[in-house]
Amino acid sequence: MIDVAGILMQNILYVILITLGGVLISWSVHFVPVGGAPAAMAQATGIGTGTVQLAAGAGLTGLVTAGAMMQITNNAALVIASGAAGAMIMIAVTMIVGTWVYIYGVGCPPASAKVKYDPITKDRQDLYVSQGTEGHGLPTVSYVSGVIGGALGGIGGSVVYYSLMSVTNQLALADLVGMASVFAVGIFFVNAVIPSYNIGGTIEGFHDPKFKRFPKAVVASLVATLFCALISVLAIGGL
Amino acid sequence: MEPLTGMGVLALMGAAATIAGASEDLESDVGSQSNPNSQVQLAPQMMYPHRIHSKAVSGEPPSNALMCAIGGTTASVLITTGASAALALAIGAIVAAAIHGTYSATAYMGRSASQKRFKQPVYLDVMRSHIPVIMGYAFITTFCILVVSYLMATVLAHPFPLPLLAFIWGITVGAIGSSTGDVHYGAERQFQNVEYGSGLNAANSGNIVRKAESGLRNGIDNSWFCAKFGGPVTGLAFGMTVFLSGWITTVFDATKGDAIGWVSVIAGIIIVLILILWNRNMEVAARAAYGTYKEDEAEAEVAA
Repeated sequence: MIDVAGILMQNILYVILITLGGVLISWSVHFVPVGGAPAAMAQATGIGTGTVQLAAGAGLTGLVTAGAMMQITNNAALVIASGAAGAMIMIAVTMIVGTWVYIYGVGCPPASAKVKYDPITKDRQDLYVSQGTEGHGLPTVSYVSGVIGGALGGIGGSVVYYSLMSVTNQLALADLVGMASVFAVGIFFVNAVIPSYNIGGTIEGFHDPKFKRFPKAVVASLVATLFCALISVLAIGGL
Repeated sequence: MEPLTGMGVLALMGAAATIAGASEDLESDVGSQSNPNSQVQLAPQMMYPHRIHSKAVSGEPPSNALMCAIGGTTASVLITTGASAALALAIGAIVAAAIHGTYSATAYMGRSASQKRFKQPVYLDVMRSHIPVIMGYAFITTFCILVVSYLMATVLAHPFPLPLLAFIWGITVGAIGSSTGDVHYGAERQFQNVEYGSGLNAANSGNIVRKAESGLRNGIDNSWFCAKFGGPVTGLAFGMTVFLSGWITTVFDATKGDAIGWVSVIAGIIIVLILILWNRNMEVAARAAYGTYKEDEAEAEVAA
């Protein structure tokens, strides 16, 4: 019989850390400039894909880097920072190549339709928005916002993975890595999906008015991830 | 591991990833998947029936993750039975391509049949000609991703199992293909009938180009066009992601101490800062080269 209360009490710190990691992932998604299907036709500012897809792509790349680092060091901060670096590289590379396509393939300059001036560069935006569109490409503010989102997502994913790997258990290392990584991927997806209801398909970054809605998603993620954390800690700790 | 060996493996992984990225994008162009497919599905409803293959199996990341996870699992099982790695990876990729081909066939028939009321035909010759091409690209993508994952799991001793690494890289290649190369297909190739140099005006939605350089346009014509720019840049993006995220930890090897590990994180941040500056540089150049789409109303009033 599994001692449910005992396992949870022994690993309560990791339950809390996993929940916080999930909340970070949820918050990070709001920073990622995604334009969904309209952006693929240069009809909206941001990257031409869905929220979940891009956030998961970046966060999971960070998870691969964090997993590699965790095997050689016990320094939690280093593992988490490596996850953030991996995710930032993925999202930064994707966005720069996206900019190549918008500028050289489609022939339109990056422009935001949500603000008149780019908050970082102070460049005028509305004059560069082509007719019948909601902006296109990745102006500097969206790019920087995306990098911040990638970093936070990478940190969140790494915290979840690090916590799951640290739960007290009797598993062989290969089995533990397998279970922890699959749970980490699952928790990442849960928290990448929740904010997409908030965002409703498109968001330009932290300057977008929709960004202010993030507290709702964060609360929803807190509840959802807490359940995920309880189940994952029990599953790993009970084996 | 010897730094030189590590760099060699990383170069091989980067090359395989570049091919995987390019073939992933071209596969989605032939079959028409992901976000630009919204226009292919919309076209018959706007009274523009067409001969373009339509396969919205799912978003590109889940569909590629499924392919790669199937390939990785098959290969992993074969390797445990004593098969050689090259054979196991090839058979894994064949199984994945066959399953993807099945989804592509059912997706095309389902999508097109559901648009019967808009007089969109189901072209059997389009299926016959496109699905082998889709499967071919799917094989290349899966095989290359499996090579990347296998090298990571064995030579670089990554702790994640092969199928999980393949799954994660499948998600990533799909996310990158959907974010980069697809824009070339969706915003340029599908709408070559409007003037070059702007986003798609919402009023033109669904009015996709249906005539090809010769005859009626199909998905293979689209991949011919996208192979000139969208496909290769997607390959570069995925190759750069795999290479750079591995490069920082290979060159600054954290096994020599945590301090070197922190240097690898700093190297990653420096790469990202360089990319931010590069993006800004391109933004300024594009604004100067293309100019504005409309006049500033305040300035126009002053001039009047």
